[in-house]
Amino acid sequence: MALPNTHTPIKAVSRVRLGYGVLLVIIAIFGVRLFYVQVIRYNHYKTAALSDQLKQYEIPATRGVIKASDNGQLVPIVLNQKLYTLYGDPSYIKNLDKTANQLSAITGGTATKYAALLKTKDTRYVVLAKKLTPEQKDKIIKLKLPGIGTVAQDYRTYPQGTLAAQILGFVDDGGTGRYGLEEYFNKQLTGTPGSLKAITDINGIPLASSPSNTEVPAKKGDDIVTTLDLAMQQQVETTLKKGVEQSKASGGSAVIFDPKTGAVKAMANYPSYDPSQYFNVDNAQLFQNAAVSQPIEVGSTMKTLTTAAALDQGVITPNTTYYDPSHWTVDQFNITNIEEDGGAGTKSIADILNLSLNTGATWELMQMGGGQINLKARTAWYDYMTNHYRLGKATGIEQGYEADGYIPTPKDNGAGINLTYANTAFGQALTATPIQMAAALGAVVNGGTYYQPTLIAQTIDSSGKVSNRAPKVLEKNAVSPAVTQAILPILDYVVQKHNFYPGFDHSKYLVGGKTGTAQIAKPGGGYYDELFNGTYAGVVGGDSAQYVIVVFIEKPTNAGYAGTAAAQPVFGSIAHMLIDESLVTPKTH
Amino acid sequence: MTYSSSLSMNRSRYVPRNQNTVSFRPSVHALGPVSNTIILIVLACLLGLLYLTQVTKTNAYGYQINGLQQRQAQLKSEHDDLEVASARLQSLARVQDSSVAKGLVSVAPSDSLQN
Repeated sequence: MALPNTHTPIKAVSRVRLGYGVLLVIIAIFGVRLFYVQVIRYNHYKTAALSDQLKQYEIPATRGVIKASDNGQLVPIVLNQKLYTLYGDPSYIKNLDKTANQLSAITGGTATKYAALLKTKDTRYVVLAKKLTPEQKDKIIKLKLPGIGTVAQDYRTYPQGTLAAQILGFVDDGGTGRYGLEEYFNKQLTGTPGSLKAITDINGIPLASSPSNTEVPAKKGDDIVTTLDLAMQQQVETTLKKGVEQSKASGGSAVIFDPKTGAVKAMANYPSYDPSQYFNVDNAQLFQNAAVSQPIEVGSTMKTLTTAAALDQGVITPNTTYYDPSHWTVDQFNITNIEEDGGAGTKSIADILNLSLNTGATWELMQMGGGQINLKARTAWYDYMTNHYRLGKATGIEQGYEADGYIPTPKDNGAGINLTYANTAFGQALTATPIQMAAALGAVVNGGTYYQPTLIAQTIDSSGKVSNRAPKVLEKNAVSPAVTQAILPILDYVVQKHNFYPGFDHSKYLVGGKTGTAQIAKPGGGYYDELFNGTYAGVVGGDSAQYVIVVFIEKPTNAGYAGTAAAQPVFGSIAHMLIDESLVTPKTH
Repeated sequence: MTYSSSLSMNRSRYVPRNQNTVSFRPSVHALGPVSNTIILIVLACLLGLLYLTQVTKTNAYGYQINGLQQRQAQLKSEHDDLEVASARLQSLARVQDSSVAKGLVSVAPSDSLQN
């Protein structure tokens, strides 16, 4: 007889239902908890999670490089290089002397200096050395010194050394361009940093599966191609340095300017500095590009511009002669000539420039006023200086700082304005920078078009798009083409009449120019008796003027007039360099 | 057991005596709620596993990409260094100071250029 079946289907179903109920309760508990965590406390947990997982990085943009032309090829003159800063955390340093010695053996620094820095209290970050090479960095990392680390940083590097330092400027530790092109084009060179917002793992590596990751790539800064010709720049710097040293001067500037485009082919100052070691420069004045930032009384080089203005106004002709009394009395002051050839007699326009007659330049100013220096003469001359030659205002050349220079207004201020204006006719009582003089002379010798001086030939953006900078005309009728035709032979004649060693073949080449020996103004008024600046403004070319060269030598102390003894030889050397290197197209007739 | 006895046993299990043999039970057996729940949980687990596999795989690619990006950055850095070295080697000052340049004879301006 079979045992009675106690496991009735009804009881089994009840157990299942009970289990099912328990499961449902458990699921409900989980559900409620999940609802609490995921819905009610959503923001709290999301914030907590993202604070650990979500990282936002800035992707630094690579700074654009600066290039120059070398024999038709573009070569970089400013590049970027990743170097390393060595730092220490004093609180982690265990064996101070040993650490300092090990570091100094690799970096070449001083162990005692490192030890002193690593003893610094109340800080956890001391910079021990900068600009370490990757090899040095690797050696230091291998030592596994506690509390010692390196951080990579992009630095500007200058493959051509100190070449064109003051034109280029430098980039400070904060990544900001200072002085020169670096300052002027800081925004354009810097580019636009990108950003990366991503959920990362514990090592900070972005997790690719996160749909909320966003990456905005950095936009590299524009590359800048200068108008500078490396070979010319190198030789102008060498020549200028030699000229300053030989004339025992305190400094100088030289510019080669293309009068047909406004392009600056070379621009040098001496003394200069090493832009890669800018932090070691004590005299901040060295950072300035004196050729655009230091206005000077230009002296007799101005006579070329005065003569051109008088010719353009039609108050004189190239063949005009006049009686020069060797002195004029203006506002009860005597205007005389400083050179020995300035005696009384009949003089020509060419004599005014060749003999550098202050009285001749004053006479030309008088002709602008109908025979005397008056408001008409002053206004006409002022118009030429400021509007035709654009003196007294910055040229707009692409440099961090450019000086305006100074041109006195023609209004009678009761303080000897006629004397002041007579002085401006031969380059005193006004100031101009070498680049202003180069641009103004460029307009006189190119047929009358004033081109804005520029250091920029092209810019190349991050996509590789090249933008050529077209020559910019600021004044179309500085002088008439007839004035150019008249003034060039006179300037050529002046060079022929002056001593150059070696001389020039004037049958093949146009080489013309004018010296200037300017007195230096005292801060309180008046001029120093024994201090002069030497200047030279000239042209080199063939059938037409191809290059304008302006030289400024500050306070030379060698024998002779500053313009002739100090600036003229530098002009001569630069002119020879251009001709000898076949950079000048000879005359065809 | 003979065929008839077995038939009899079967009949006795499914068709008891005095019982109508006509059945209205569906021939296809539906799964119960527990089975359904378990199957759903298993399916959810499988889906979760699939998701995790894909996420892990994607992240693995992410690490691979990160590694390649680091390599790219390293190569770019090396390229930059080489570019700097190349520019330095070709610099005018270095060429001027080279032994080849020092061996050259300086040429004065030719006669044709002099007065």
